[in-house]
Amino acid sequence: MSEAPIHIFGVRHHGPGSARSLRQALEALKPDCILVEGPPDAEGVLPLAAHADIKPPVALLIYHPEKPRRAAYYPFAVFSPEWQAIQFGLKENVPVRFMDLPQSVQMGIAAEAEDKAAAEEPEEEDAETAYESTAAPEPELHISHDPLSHLARAAGYSDSERWWEHLVEHRRDGRDVFAAVLEAMTALREAAIRSSLQQLEPEREALREAHMRQTIRAAQKEGFNRIAVVCGAWHAPALATMPAAKDDAALLKGLPKSKVAATWIPWTYSRLAFASGYGAGIASPGWYDFLWSMSGRRNGHVATHWLTKVARLLRGEDLDASSASIIEAVRLSESLASLRGRPLPGLPELNEATTTVLCFGDELPMRLIAQKLIVSERLGEVPDDIPMVPLAQDLAREQKRLRFPPEATQKQVDLDLRKPNDLDRSRLLHRLNLLAIPWGKQAKQRGAQKGTFHELWSVQWQPEFAVALIEAGVWGSNIPSAASAKVCHDADAAQDLPSLTALVDATLLADLPEAAEHLMTRLQAVAAVASDVGHLMLALPPLANILRYGNVRQTDAEMVAGVVSGLVARVCIGLPGACGSLNGEAAEEMFGRILATHGAIGLLQNAEHTALWNNVLRQLAELPNLHGLIAGRACRLLHETQQLNTAEAARRFGLALSTANPPMQSAAWVDGFLRDSGLLLLHDENLWRVLDDWVSGLATEHFTTALPLLRRTFSTFQSAERRQMATRVAGGAKRGPAVLASEDFDVARADKALPLLAELLGLKIEVKS
Amino acid sequence: MSNQLRQHAEQQFADELKALAKADTKTRPPNWKLSPWAVATYLLGGKLDDGTEITAKYIGDRRLIEIAIATLATDRALLLLGVPGTAKTWVAEHLCAAISGDSTELVQGTAGTSEESLRYGWNYAELLAKGPSAKALVPSPMMRAMKEGKLARVEELTRIPADVQDTLITILSEKTLPIPELGEEVQAVKGFNVIATANNRDRGVNELSSALRRRFNTVVLPLPESLDEEVQIVQQRVEQLGRALELPAEPPALEEIRRVVTVFRELRSGATADGKTKLKSPSATLSTAEAIGVMNQGLSLAAHFGDGTLRAADVASGLVGAVIKDPVQDRVVWQEYLETVVKERDGWKDFYRACKKAD
Repeated sequence: MSEAPIHIFGVRHHGPGSARSLRQALEALKPDCILVEGPPDAEGVLPLAAHADIKPPVALLIYHPEKPRRAAYYPFAVFSPEWQAIQFGLKENVPVRFMDLPQSVQMGIAAEAEDKAAAEEPEEEDAETAYESTAAPEPELHISHDPLSHLARAAGYSDSERWWEHLVEHRRDGRDVFAAVLEAMTALREAAIRSSLQQLEPEREALREAHMRQTIRAAQKEGFNRIAVVCGAWHAPALATMPAAKDDAALLKGLPKSKVAATWIPWTYSRLAFASGYGAGIASPGWYDFLWSMSGRRNGHVATHWLTKVARLLRGEDLDASSASIIEAVRLSESLASLRGRPLPGLPELNEATTTVLCFGDELPMRLIAQKLIVSERLGEVPDDIPMVPLAQDLAREQKRLRFPPEATQKQVDLDLRKPNDLDRSRLLHRLNLLAIPWGKQAKQRGAQKGTFHELWSVQWQPEFAVALIEAGVWGSNIPSAASAKVCHDADAAQDLPSLTALVDATLLADLPEAAEHLMTRLQAVAAVASDVGHLMLALPPLANILRYGNVRQTDAEMVAGVVSGLVARVCIGLPGACGSLNGEAAEEMFGRILATHGAIGLLQNAEHTALWNNVLRQLAELPNLHGLIAGRACRLLHETQQLNTAEAARRFGLALSTANPPMQSAAWVDGFLRDSGLLLLHDENLWRVLDDWVSGLATEHFTTALPLLRRTFSTFQSAERRQMATRVAGGAKRGPAVLASEDFDVARADKALPLLAELLGLKIEVKS
Repeated sequence: MSNQLRQHAEQQFADELKALAKADTKTRPPNWKLSPWAVATYLLGGKLDDGTEITAKYIGDRRLIEIAIATLATDRALLLLGVPGTAKTWVAEHLCAAISGDSTELVQGTAGTSEESLRYGWNYAELLAKGPSAKALVPSPMMRAMKEGKLARVEELTRIPADVQDTLITILSEKTLPIPELGEEVQAVKGFNVIATANNRDRGVNELSSALRRRFNTVVLPLPESLDEEVQIVQQRVEQLGRALELPAEPPALEEIRRVVTVFRELRSGATADGKTKLKSPSATLSTAEAIGVMNQGLSLAAHFGDGTLRAADVASGLVGAVIKDPVQDRVVWQEYLETVVKERDGWKDFYRACKKAD
């Protein structure tokens, strides 16, 4: 071979052991050119990787500048071999190149396929659904669809992660590892075990490898002598044996291309993990980060340091974790490792030791450990002078489309949701709020006169929103999908109903159907285990509002209806229990909730719900020892919905006010029954009589104790109502509307008396002619 | 064959233990009859190179058994936690049989367990006649295990009064048992360790002090993992018991067992079987053993008061009684479950009506 020899390093993406071995190998080799499996489109921003302000985890984002939803992410952690190779190259001034098939081509192919599909099936896709259907081409799927599993299974391991970790990642002196990996992979490929990815997309894989080989040839032609090639282990054999150059050239000829742009964005460890649904993830980035940080220490120290970290975390959460327990946990992890024939405790052994010794067999603290340590919540950083992220571009485009430019001065906007443009503006503002970019703040409506189709906003653009946009870039490349992802994340983090309900409100206003669906599932799950009926009751009114006004918002009310039925059923079952033994303050709170729930049930206009609710109210009205406020209101609501006729209501009023009850209880009952309803009292003769009899029959000291509570009820009535009542009371026992008595009224005779009266009172009076 | 009603594990499985000891070439901790690997094989089952079939004593997570064995190898005491009927005692007995070849050093924890049963007692005739002497001393199982380097078992640790429990602290941390009357002490021989079992669902037990808890490694034994596994256990047991009680009723239909087990599992796990809906869990244990009890009661109702065929109504009353242990909270849970899950489920109409009636 005339060309310069190449040195192939087959690595596992995001493997700290691979990264360490690679770093050592590169330092020994001193290459004059490094080729890394990555998108050549990003070579322009590659030097930024050496920027002082860039802190992994970060991701290379390759996107279509006009359609940013078509995007690919290449995440790097500090322990990714690719990252280490890039850092090495930039530090030593060795040219670093990406050699994967350019994303411009991959996207071009995808776009072509899409166009073809669209041509075959001419179906109009509206903008809302499009972003869901076009999955961004994920460049590194082959970790989860793992060819290594064949080898792992042959070696008697349950999964390839552990096998690789044991054999490769745990090694500390791994320069000859790469030769072994190459050999193993060659054997695998020769055995014609096709990786599942190849089965999925054989053409794409062939193209990618052809392009990698072409890049290598180009580098050889340029006269580099020691070329280091860093690629996924699976590709290593394909690059080691070079077929004829013209075959590859023919393969790559005439491929469609699309426009792309590249930038760095901050990434998080939780998005590197499988759990977040990212295809090419690793299960335990936090653990790998830890392993990487332990490089250069003795192997035996890993367990000690890790378990100490765990114990400190537990202590921070007020769980007991003494140093003695750490010692025992280390010992247990080591004896477990030896029982399983491993040289060192790995993550499973350490986790088991933690559960058994530090958590006393309890699985719950383990979830905390998994979240905070094993996955870890670390967020990367990118320098400020990085090219604009697609999210910001998407926002700029939206602002232009909606003729809604960002301005630094505060402005009031009244949006009429019946107009499509205003509706879209409202959605945009709501979505930005969900992404923690408070461009607009919704003002409280003054009165309900304007109707539900008006929204008042005060909008003001702040410069720091630019930074917030970059931060929000981890959630997605356009505003709707980013907002959806953020809501889903928040929903998973939210533990109690009120915060979820608030999210539901915001999400439906922001018109994010995908996120709303997720939220409803979460809401259902949280509501099912929520033991606080009060929270359930608070969750109901906003959902009822959504159901009632669903048409204005054009959101699908179906799924809300399911959740609402569940809520109503649960509230109805739990309410009687929740109303027992309340003090005044708690009863006051419950009173408000019952009113709100009653309103919500009224809004829903569902016969089944109404029947359930009336049933509960009846139960409440009859429950002994219930706080008077609630019993009174239950009775009143039943009377209002004609579940109780007036005579029955009067009977209950009398019963509640009978002298056998403690006066405070009676007074609270009156308060519950009559609050905000002086008119009922004025116009219902039966009720009036009952109340009157009760007051007149009270002993003096009872009257004194009840007076403050009575006063509180009566002070809520409008002054006109109070005056009328007073008039009636002053009328004494011979009751009966005074109006009736004035029917035979002689106007002529009365007129005669008027001048004299005017004289006496010093008034001037105009006598009608 | 022996006449005993029940044999010890080391007697019943003597052949398997012998075969394992022969095949076992791995290093054994001091005074262990088998290596940790062989102990794991004994409990989890497998086939030896010489063709001997080792039956599985524990069907479930291999990991848990490995943790338990590794714990005993580190000289830390082992605490097996779990709801009733999760094979805690069974596992403890077999661990002792495999490791020490003797599962008889047993202290049964009750509210009346005294310090003597954990330390030592006296032969009072001897004591009064000759004063305190080694001869007058009556050793406890714990003391014997310490002297001989064996495993001792403490059943139902949390039922023992707290002050008596704390006797274990010295034994577990210092590995000695002082005898102040004689001015002597017993120092544990290598191989000594303690396996305790405790129930983590019972109310009114004596919680371990944190000083004692710290000296145990805790392994929680779970309930059967899959529905089918549990249905099978219940069916086998119900049929056996039905025969023993000579109930004239037909053996219950698999369908009815499946329904009861489903209800138990769903309420226990706090989610429906399809994983779509979350539920509240009642305070009752709802172990497999209780499902067996419910089926048995239903069977006897059907036999003596019904037409001999087990129907939903026969099961319902027992089921409601098993679920509602706390008359206020559990009732809410049960009603929610009935209204949101059972009512909607296809083919469960009769069951729903029967439960509503029984409630």
